[in-house]
Amino acid sequence: MMNKLSQHDGPVLEIDKLSISFFTRLREIPAVMDFSVSVQPGEAVGLVGESGCGKSTVALGVMQDLGKNGRIVGGSIKFKGRDLAQMSPEELRDVRGNEIAMIYQEPMASLNPAMKIGRQLMEVPMIHEGVSEKVAYARALEVVTDVRLPDPERMLNSYPHQLSGGQQQRIVIAMALMSKPSLLILDEPTTALDVTVEAAVVELVRDLGKKYGTSMLFISHNLGLILETCDRLCVMYSGEAVERGSIADVFDEMQHPYTQALFRSIPLPGADKNAHPLVAIPGNFPLPHERPTGCNFGPRCDYFQSGRCDQGQIDMEDVAGNDRHATRCLRYKEIDWAAPIVVGEQKEKTKPGEVVLKIDNLKKYYEVAANALFGGGTKKVVKANETLSFEARESETLAIVGESGCGKSTFAKVLMGLETATEGEILLDGQNIEQTAIEARDTRTVSDVQMVFQNPFDTLNPSMTVGRQIIRALEIFDIGDSDQDRKQRMLELLDLVKLPRAFADRMPRQLSGGQKQRVGIARAFSGGARIVVADEPVSALDVSVQAAVTDLLMEIQRSEKTTLLFISHDLSIVRYLSDRVMVMYLGHVVELGDTDQVFSPPYHPYTEALLSAVPIADTSIEKEHIVLEGDIPSAMDPPSGCPFQTRCRWKSEVPGGLCDREVPPTRSLEPGHQIKCHLSDETLQRMQPVIKVAAE
Amino acid sequence: MDPLSWTGNIAFLDPLLFFALGLLALSVLVWIVLSAVLPENRAINVTGGSASLSSGPLVLAALAVKAAFLATSALVAVYLLLGIVMGTGAGIIGAMAQRLLPVWIALVLLFTLSILFKRKLGLYGKLFDSPIGMIGFALVMFWVFTGFFGAVDMIITHDPLAQLSGLKNKVPGTPLRSPEDGDFLWYLLGGDNLARDVFSRMVKGAWEVVKIAPLATVFAFMVGITLGLPAGYFGGKLDTFLSFLANLILAFPVILLFYLLVTPEIVQTGLPQFMAVVLFAFPLIFFFVLINARYRTQPQKNYLWLAVVLLPMLALYLMVVNAPGSKVDILPTALDRIDIPGGILVVFVSVVFVNSPTVFRIVRGLTMDIKTRDYVAAAQTRGERPWYIMLWEVLPNARGPLIVDFCLRIGYTTILLGTLGFFGLGLPPESPDWGSTINEGRKLLAIYLHPALPPAFALLSMVLGLNLLADGLREESLKD
Repeated sequence: MMNKLSQHDGPVLEIDKLSISFFTRLREIPAVMDFSVSVQPGEAVGLVGESGCGKSTVALGVMQDLGKNGRIVGGSIKFKGRDLAQMSPEELRDVRGNEIAMIYQEPMASLNPAMKIGRQLMEVPMIHEGVSEKVAYARALEVVTDVRLPDPERMLNSYPHQLSGGQQQRIVIAMALMSKPSLLILDEPTTALDVTVEAAVVELVRDLGKKYGTSMLFISHNLGLILETCDRLCVMYSGEAVERGSIADVFDEMQHPYTQALFRSIPLPGADKNAHPLVAIPGNFPLPHERPTGCNFGPRCDYFQSGRCDQGQIDMEDVAGNDRHATRCLRYKEIDWAAPIVVGEQKEKTKPGEVVLKIDNLKKYYEVAANALFGGGTKKVVKANETLSFEARESETLAIVGESGCGKSTFAKVLMGLETATEGEILLDGQNIEQTAIEARDTRTVSDVQMVFQNPFDTLNPSMTVGRQIIRALEIFDIGDSDQDRKQRMLELLDLVKLPRAFADRMPRQLSGGQKQRVGIARAFSGGARIVVADEPVSALDVSVQAAVTDLLMEIQRSEKTTLLFISHDLSIVRYLSDRVMVMYLGHVVELGDTDQVFSPPYHPYTEALLSAVPIADTSIEKEHIVLEGDIPSAMDPPSGCPFQTRCRWKSEVPGGLCDREVPPTRSLEPGHQIKCHLSDETLQRMQPVIKVAAE
Repeated sequence: MDPLSWTGNIAFLDPLLFFALGLLALSVLVWIVLSAVLPENRAINVTGGSASLSSGPLVLAALAVKAAFLATSALVAVYLLLGIVMGTGAGIIGAMAQRLLPVWIALVLLFTLSILFKRKLGLYGKLFDSPIGMIGFALVMFWVFTGFFGAVDMIITHDPLAQLSGLKNKVPGTPLRSPEDGDFLWYLLGGDNLARDVFSRMVKGAWEVVKIAPLATVFAFMVGITLGLPAGYFGGKLDTFLSFLANLILAFPVILLFYLLVTPEIVQTGLPQFMAVVLFAFPLIFFFVLINARYRTQPQKNYLWLAVVLLPMLALYLMVVNAPGSKVDILPTALDRIDIPGGILVVFVSVVFVNSPTVFRIVRGLTMDIKTRDYVAAAQTRGERPWYIMLWEVLPNARGPLIVDFCLRIGYTTILLGTLGFFGLGLPPESPDWGSTINEGRKLLAIYLHPALPPAFALLSMVLGLNLLADGLREESLKD
């Protein structure tokens, strides 16, 4: 029988001046330097930073799991007053999973696919506390009920692959809670999940933290999520903590230029692409072995003073008057933090022109054989797109919003010609293209409709130079008469996306994520595209880079008069840049209208839930909490009647079970604003805005 | 003349060498035991501001292994150097070291140049960061150079086919009975049961192996790639059909297939030749599609490249496939400049035939993975044709595993050639290739050990070298 460490007053976790390095054959790479944070009992501390800033390394350091070549080279990590580095492997084994539990990003990778859920959960107390199988089962059942999974007994008896992503993550959380740990480390626990599912998981984590009194170390790149879950936070940049304090202090009285820049580069509800554009952080994140002397953020900082900020080590300094608020900036007292943003040039709002793309009643069904091996038996029909109708005008941004499985990617495929439509029409300049596969389209049509992809690490062929890839697109689009011509045009395209011309000879692996995405944009515009489908073009990028890439896309759109179909699930960015918004759910367009119309009541119930789910990094915003129960139904087996009826909180307002029986008709609320809902006009009028700016 | 001993005048080094080898074995053993027993070391030393990994028994043991290995290597180098200087004065070892002088020079040159410019040489250059890869590459290049210089009659001491009287089954170091002027005076590794020089035959045999194995593997890869790409890319019925075919070939007993292919009745029907016609056509198809996909939009360039690359290949193909008087006799005799002996053709065809299904499956698997990437989707959305995507977007990104497999497969092919030679299939009976030589030596193995061992060791070291090379490449290609 193993016991928990004796009770201890004071912080659960105390990290003091921690430095972690990884040793490679060539050099020592410092991943974390001089990092201090403490977590009090029952407190949730957020760790925010861009990828590569060392936040996950801190978590691994706490677990003492740095791998073969990682070492703690300075400082200490004290858990309940005991230094983890001094513990023997046996003692560490007792602590891990028992006292400190960790939840990783990818739920499927944390579960053993060959073991039933129940077995995996029961293992934890059986190993750590040596309890009997019966007790362990009872505990598992209790915890699974606690994470609000339906039908817990069936859950325990199923294998991980039989569960959806959200359910899997709940099981992982349940597993972490099995031994009632005193510290829970969550490493981007919701990044792999959909927004509405994320909101439910976040709420669960917060409630459970309160119920069990667990301290939490919450690692995320999303400031909004940190605001919703944590009491305190620590902002990291390039291996160092740059600012530390309570949520209110850091969000409202930030004392470090990086924190300020970070907040200015995320689209908060007040931002607008024409009047208040986002301010991107100039430059790139420094590589671990290329850090500048002095302040790491110096080269990208607006307040940089040479001769002062680039001299030697800078220490954390407490900000007077606030509770445990510290910053790593020499000039924090001199900077006027309340100064308004210097607004760059304000841009004219572009007028949408002629209709270039018209979708009418488009349907795309897939037939899936029930028995894949022999192809016989009944065939199932997956309705990926159901009666899609909308228009897109020249130099207009139309956002397509929806979670995974809503049919937005299928629509993109049909538009691009990778698939042909089952029914309905796509008219490009009045010509039908819905039945023409891409091989049969003429060069002009192909180059007119292009796409920017989501994953920057996947969007370029890793074994071809950047220049070669753009030239290939030019060749295919029949642009330029000679190789010389095309080379010239390629260099101009690099200028267009603001990349140095020298990049033409680089291989994609030498570029950062944002730079790759710029090349992807250059490639899409190489044939003078008039309609560009951007499939979550910035969601995989770091916050500080997102703003720059978004702005670039807008700028090119403005000059080329392109129609942009912006696919995203992130409503903040959609509100920032789109003219009109189309919300999709399970293949249906549930709401379509101007950005203002969609973002203010009356909403479609699904839009309302989506708006509530998106975390917003602003303390002055009050959100109504709407948590959708359950997961998105499978498109293979959609619910009868209205597709959203299984999760709708307004369903009871519709008399006679109409939602169960009939797909609601599309109706117009105002000119240009249509929704697909059975709710009566009076009910819709009663809806309150989800997001309210608190009166100050 | 006196018979040569193994080490001659440098025999004083022998105890040292044995001692060093003993130390090496012991230190390796200690190291393995320690690393199994001791826990993982988490501590670090901070001395003078710079941090380093702390030393413990394990580190000391690793150091001992390194020292013992260096000592052994240094001794071996001393043997070779003294041998090069003293020649037969240093016994059989010395004489062989001296005969192999061109190989040493070539190896030293190659390694110096490669290490000097390793940062500019891509994956090949990175190989020189991995000790394992370097050892493997050295072993492989040793046999390549040996084969090459042997082929131009530089290293060999005697004609590999000449039979000298009185030297039948004689032990290594036996002097010639009646040497003529200019003859080398000893059979360095003894004589075989037909009184031929084992050393010279081993050197000549290296060329046979170095010549056939990589070429046959290249052909197997061409076939595997050309079929595997569409199978993986298109999937569906085509994939099912091709995979079934591949499984069929894989399930067929290889040795039986070989026997069938060389049976006179089967040769009479022209089956091996027809197989050659089909299999050798794949490189043509591959390069045609490769160039055509790339320059589809620029017809003039396209035709130029097609003509430059394909016409010579086509000519070569016709000459290789055509054999006067057989079933495939389409070319006028005047034009048929290349005549491949029937045996070699059969060896080639069978090696390609049994190797390509495995390559096919690897390529198919890689393609299925890579085709889901965004850059493939990007190519599709700009209207690229399937073959361009397969050959220019998918294939280059599958190269890592393919290069590694290529090295391993040359190893298999080498063994396969040995096996074929061992069964007396394919190559002519007097051929000095290693498989045939081992087979001949086998017959009298109980009485005379020496004729069979040198080719066996040669085969072993070459295949080992290829495997190490593949390991090194894999290790280095994963880093970046």
